[in-house]
Amino acid sequence: MSTAGLVIFYYLAAASITSAILAITRHKPIHSLLWVLALFLHVAGIFLLMGAEFLAAVQVIVYAGAILVFYLFFLMLLDLPSEAAAPRFSAHWPLSVVAGVAFATLIWYARDIPAALVPAAAGGPSSGNVATVGKSLFTEFAVPFEIVSLVLLSAIVGAVVMAKRKTEP
Amino acid sequence: MVPVGACLGLSAVLFAIGLIGFLARRNIILMLVSVEIMLNSVNVSLAAFSQHLGDARGQVMALFVIAVAAGEAAIGLGLVLALSRNKQGVNVEDVTRLKW
Repeated sequence: MSTAGLVIFYYLAAASITSAILAITRHKPIHSLLWVLALFLHVAGIFLLMGAEFLAAVQVIVYAGAILVFYLFFLMLLDLPSEAAAPRFSAHWPLSVVAGVAFATLIWYARDIPAALVPAAAGGPSSGNVATVGKSLFTEFAVPFEIVSLVLLSAIVGAVVMAKRKTEP
Repeated sequence: MVPVGACLGLSAVLFAIGLIGFLARRNIILMLVSVEIMLNSVNVSLAAFSQHLGDARGQVMALFVIAVAAGEAAIGLGLVLALSRNKQGVNVEDVTRLKW
């Protein structure tokens, strides 16, 4: 890969990690969600750099455009004024940080193994174009694709049922 | 091509940040957002392997992960809405009825 590409990749990676850390540490939930938006857009850039154009588009449209806006709408409509004053982290947060750092360390030392075991394909990033993904999605993965539509349908119905229910406190 | 090892390292760090957020935050909505961060880091891994192997199937798998993440967001926020009707606030520490 060219030096410019590597520089862009390391910028996107550093920005993603910074946005993710800010997202989980901000006091106000709205600020957290906006940092997650920055994270998703930078990850979409990484997908573009890896030749996964369709995945980058879906990341921007579905993740940043739909899921995150859904979270923002929900947060603003729910209106929780007491949240801003309450402590952000639970009492056991150092243990959580230890667990996360241990996990990242383990994977960090394993990250070069896949490249050593399986050589890179000669074709390279050309495999990521929209036509290839679409063909694979509608031929080889046609049945899982339909099942995913059922999963989404049941999720919609489940969310409506869950949100409609009125119970006495 | 982006080096696959660097992508997997980035994915591991993002997953760990999501894990810390899920375990440490008290707000249920932000715990769900941390789950989204973890799912997204897995997508980075899948795209890296897809590029490394020159095979589009990894990206198809990542699309399925995105679909499941959308379903998880809908169900999770529906649960939070039902919870906030019955209790004041959305802190996990107040939800202990099924704990012991």
